Amino acid sequence: MSYFGLNKLGTLLNIIKESGGIRASLYKLYRMDELKLGTLIGTDKYGNKYYENPRFFYGRNRWVEYAPQYRLEYDGSQVPAEWFGWLHYKTDLPPDKDPGRPKYKWMADHTENLSGTTGQYVPYSTTVPKIEAWKPK
Amino acid sequence: MLRITAQKSLAGAKVSPKHLFPIFSRSSTDVAKKPEKIEVFIDDKPVLVEPGTTVLQAAALVGVEIPRFCYHERLAVAGNCRMCLVEVEKSPKPVAACAMPVMKGWRIKTDSEMTRKAREGVMEFLLVNHPLDCPICDQGGECDLQDQSMAFGSDRSRFTDIDFSGKRAVEDKDIGPLIKTIMTRCIHCTRCIRFASEVAGIDDLGTTGRGSDMQVGTYVEKFFLSELSGNVIDLCPVGALTSKPYSFTARPWETRKTDSIDVLDAVGSNIVVCTRTGDVLRILPRINEDINEEWLSDKSRFAYDGLKRQRLVTPMLRDACGELKPVDWEAALLGVGKVLKAAGGNITAVAGGLADAEALVALKDLVNKLGSEAVCIENSFPLDGSGTDLRSSYLLNNKIAPAEEADLVLLIGTNPRLEAPLLNSRIRKGYVHNETEIAVIGPKIDLRYDYIHLGEDPSIIRQIENGQHAFVKKLKSAKKPLVILGSDTLSRSDGAAILSSVQSLSRGLQDEMCDPEWKVLNILHKVANQVAALDIGYTPDLSKICESSPKVLYLLGADDCGITRADLPDGCFIVYQGHHGDQGASIADAVLPGIAYTEKQATYVNTEGRAQQTLVAVTPPGLAREDWKIIRALSEIVGAKLPYDSLEEIRYRLEEVAPHLTRYGCAEAANYFCEALELGKKTNAPIDTSPLDVKQKTLEDFYMTDVISRASPTMAKCVAAVQKQNLSKY
Amino acid sequence: MPKDKLANVITTYITILDSFSVNFPNTFDREIENVKMASVLVRFSYLTKNQLGLLAPLANSAQVCCYSTPPGTPPPQTKTKFGPLCDEDRIFTNLYGRHDWRLKGALKRGDWYKTKEILCKGADWIINEIKVSGLRGRGGAGFPSGMKWSFMNKPSDGRPKYLVVNADEGEPGTCKDREIMRHDPHKLVEGCLIAGKAMGAKAAYIYIRGEFYNEASNMQIAIAEAYQAGLLGKNACNSGYDFDVFMHRGAGAYICGEETALIESIEGKQGKPRLKPPFPADVGVFGCPTTVTNVETVAVAPSICRRGGAWFASFGRTRNSGTKLFNISGHVNTPCTVEEEMSIPLKELIELHAGGVTGGWDNLLAVIPGGSSTPLIPKSVCDDVLMDFDGLVAAQTSLGTAAVIVMNKQTDVVKAIARLIMFYKHESCGQCTPCREGISWMNKIIYRFVDGNARPDEIDMLWELSKQIEGHTICALGDGAAWPVQGLIRHFRPELEDRMKKFHEQQKGQHAARN
Repeated sequence: MSYFGLNKLGTLLNIIKESGGIRASLYKLYRMDELKLGTLIGTDKYGNKYYENPRFFYGRNRWVEYAPQYRLEYDGSQVPAEWFGWLHYKTDLPPDKDPGRPKYKWMADHTENLSGTTGQYVPYSTTVPKIEAWKPK
Repeated sequence: MLRITAQKSLAGAKVSPKHLFPIFSRSSTDVAKKPEKIEVFIDDKPVLVEPGTTVLQAAALVGVEIPRFCYHERLAVAGNCRMCLVEVEKSPKPVAACAMPVMKGWRIKTDSEMTRKAREGVMEFLLVNHPLDCPICDQGGECDLQDQSMAFGSDRSRFTDIDFSGKRAVEDKDIGPLIKTIMTRCIHCTRCIRFASEVAGIDDLGTTGRGSDMQVGTYVEKFFLSELSGNVIDLCPVGALTSKPYSFTARPWETRKTDSIDVLDAVGSNIVVCTRTGDVLRILPRINEDINEEWLSDKSRFAYDGLKRQRLVTPMLRDACGELKPVDWEAALLGVGKVLKAAGGNITAVAGGLADAEALVALKDLVNKLGSEAVCIENSFPLDGSGTDLRSSYLLNNKIAPAEEADLVLLIGTNPRLEAPLLNSRIRKGYVHNETEIAVIGPKIDLRYDYIHLGEDPSIIRQIENGQHAFVKKLKSAKKPLVILGSDTLSRSDGAAILSSVQSLSRGLQDEMCDPEWKVLNILHKVANQVAALDIGYTPDLSKICESSPKVLYLLGADDCGITRADLPDGCFIVYQGHHGDQGASIADAVLPGIAYTEKQATYVNTEGRAQQTLVAVTPPGLAREDWKIIRALSEIVGAKLPYDSLEEIRYRLEEVAPHLTRYGCAEAANYFCEALELGKKTNAPIDTSPLDVKQKTLEDFYMTDVISRASPTMAKCVAAVQKQNLSKY
Repeated sequence: MPKDKLANVITTYITILDSFSVNFPNTFDREIENVKMASVLVRFSYLTKNQLGLLAPLANSAQVCCYSTPPGTPPPQTKTKFGPLCDEDRIFTNLYGRHDWRLKGALKRGDWYKTKEILCKGADWIINEIKVSGLRGRGGAGFPSGMKWSFMNKPSDGRPKYLVVNADEGEPGTCKDREIMRHDPHKLVEGCLIAGKAMGAKAAYIYIRGEFYNEASNMQIAIAEAYQAGLLGKNACNSGYDFDVFMHRGAGAYICGEETALIESIEGKQGKPRLKPPFPADVGVFGCPTTVTNVETVAVAPSICRRGGAWFASFGRTRNSGTKLFNISGHVNTPCTVEEEMSIPLKELIELHAGGVTGGWDNLLAVIPGGSSTPLIPKSVCDDVLMDFDGLVAAQTSLGTAAVIVMNKQTDVVKAIARLIMFYKHESCGQCTPCREGISWMNKIIYRFVDGNARPDEIDMLWELSKQIEGHTICALGDGAAWPVQGLIRHFRPELEDRMKKFHEQQKGQHAARN
């Protein structure tokens, strides 16, 4: 089987099956430029799914599948900080399995990078305006 | 009140000869023969001077400047700083150059050992008690003491007593919201005192104490309130008197200076606008002997902070909810254009006193092109009789400068002290040095000189005209009489009759004048560009325009006309174009932001008919644009394109309308006095019995008279200070 | 002395005299004469020291008599010994108030005698008599009175002329005018009338020092008496001349004794000196031509007119003629005011009238010969100096008001001068810079000198400062403050240096003791 590469075909079929059919697989390929099979390690609260497959070489064996609502508008800053460490091999423990992670009430929710959107940070002048404009009553 | 009698001043008592020369030489050129000139030598350079010339003036003739602190050519000579000591050959001790008249054959050495020693000594003494706070002194960089100590002082100090008893310190005084005092810096030159008593006519400043305890100040704790008070800041050679609003703002070398024209009264004083990074920091007077000499009224000097408040910085349109909302220029112009087109010629334009000649002519052209003749100005003027057709009936014909030569001044319904402070200072100069007599018809007001009060009844004018009044005798015997008629009087309902009466009364005097250059009849306006508007052809009758029920009312900086919504027909669209949000903008449906006088190059004509131009000192704020350009843009949108695209082209158009408007610096004289009188006689209207009144009676009324000064916090402080002073027992 | 050399010397003297009168416009400010500013205005610089040295023996030897005399010249010098004055030559016969000061007593003493006749002789006669008498202003500057009065005697331009009598006697050490005013007021009243007539004045103002209450009171009574007796007012003394005398009390400022400050003060302004020119003779009180003269000058005028100018000129040396009131105060046994002949030797004056210096002549330290503003002279000079204008100028000081302040060896001379400077600092009007700033600075320095808390080079600095004040001010107060300091430094420099040395040694000692 392996001589003819049929085992690869089997894997493909398996991937297609795992991805939820041909249509979904094509969409995934279009969206993420690759189709990979992996073990689902966890899902964050935004719906991003994190996979691992040690079959791939180090550096490519952990990846994220962005939540469907992002469609094509995904980017790296959508990965929350707790998953960032796992994804970049800072730790092998996914956040839900790491008891040492601090959790406080005051910790802010993760926000993605807002540059280029209406929510982006715009610096403002702190000097007093030279001209005070008239405001109609 | 100080009054130097002619006899005393002829004898030269405490008055510098130069000070008197303009007055006396002009009045007596034809009578007195010129005394022979005498020759003196300044540093071995021979120079011929008139007898009575001081050493300092003689030195100035050959270009030698003698250092001085107390001497000021427009003030009496005090001779107390001793900085101007120079050696005269054969004299055992140096003489004070500012006070000593030269004698024949004197050899004056302005750079000899003795002279230099004397200067160095005086300099050392001045610095003994002068604080070394130049780094935090506002005068730094324009300080006479600093400059002269560099040039004439010693290169090291030997004030050994600094280790023992230190320097003198003097308590600061609170003399009002305009002038900051740091009296420790005072070098007792008494320039401020002399200015106050001679020019301003306020004897509030003086010295108390003796010797090193002498202090300059008001004798009691009170404010130094005068319409000319700011000039003592310029006069002070050190940083003892500095400008309060300008304090700690800038150094003189950091500022950019732009020569310009003041527009807050009708005098048209020459000013220098000091700016830095697009900010007007202060306004200083610029010497113009024909107009303001080197003085400036407080309103002109300090109201500049009004240019930074209440400004219109973006076009606005009234939205469906009836609120003015900022829009961009395109929307605003399209909106206004649509209404203008729809009005079909039923348009009225009203121009305010601060509108420049370029905007005035552009607006008039536009309105005329749209088929309306209704362009008017907010300050009314009688149209009957000669009306505004002949310039002689609306100009200060005799000009400002010769007012100091008059021997009799008759003021009718005007308060020159507050309406034109610098004209008043000229009259006061005549009063002090020339024994000028002044008479007033109108309310009793404080002019800072004595006058004969003839009464408030306007019928007195008729009585004088007909020769029934006792005052006529004086008027007839005067060699150089001056009749000044105020604009408040002309806006009365019987203005035409009063004008005609004054014209005929002046004509009677004019006929007896031997000097044809001397004009008896003078009209004093209150706002900057009244004369230009009348020259361009604006009509000064506001009431008729309200009656004509316009569909569009175009206000060009008109805030004082008193028009309200109620005066206008329903659905009348009001466009306001101007630089300040005031009465005009608050009733407007569309607001087009124009710019103020420091931001544009524009033409203004003062009350004597002298065309002058302002220059651009700072860039306009926000979206505000030059007024004539706004009108030009609007004209393109309404399809009545005005044929000028640049300042040169619109000035060419101005020249077409009235050639003198672009002859900058020249005062175009009026003529046709007789014809104006003839036309005036036709009116035959009676004069009312209601007493003559002026709007500005006390100093309180002086400070806030137009959109700029009303927006100025400094001017508001001045008004508060006057009110506080009024409550004080002093 | 060989003959040709003598002739040479005489010619020099004549040229000097000529130049004196020719130079007159330049030296116009010398005319100032008043009590307070006393000695202030004598300028050394007009005559160099050499010339003065040359002149002194000449004037004494009475040989200079060979030049032709213009009218109004005092008679030539004949005397070689001056003083004491004999009683019949005294002008102020009630100087000590032993007799009645009122009109009755005054008449008894010869006042108001033939005043009408004097007035009727006319202004020119009076001025000529004064010129002949060689009277020089008694206020300090010593300007020839006849010449000064003749400036006023010119055709009028319509303005009235005024005589102002300077009775603001404030110079420390001076107390001559008050004696006249309280004990012989009629001399002054009559003098006003005669001087007024000589100038063609309309009225006289007597500006009297505010502190002189009794004197002002006596003067006022004397004026009232004169009015009642018809001696003043309309048709004064039946001479057909109308003349009024007013009295004005000052408010106690030394500077008001300066003539232009006095004029300002009469006009009701702050007493601050005016700039000159215009001089008071052109523009004076109320803008009219005015002459300001000292009380003594005016008060001796009637006697001169009655007894003749030549009589007056017979006292004292040429150009220093007449009698004079000397005030001797300080360390003498009997301080007094005394009328003496001019040119009396200082030593004789003190020994004869003041009972000698306390502790004997050898105990003398220094003398201030002419009121506080004149430089002091040490004992070596006092031994043979003559009390007149030229004699004291030769000694680098001046006659001033002839107020002799004697200091014996118990005096702290530095402190004495420091106290005088403090007086000038307090009395400076503050108008012009060198006086206002300079004197208060000098005051600070000299008080440190009293303790010795200074460096020796500061003595030179103080000298320079005083030179920076002298001659650079509007009026003469600055000069008057500078001179005492200069006198001190000139004659007592070793004393100053000693003190500094001692002070620093003491400091060092204390410093060492502390450590």
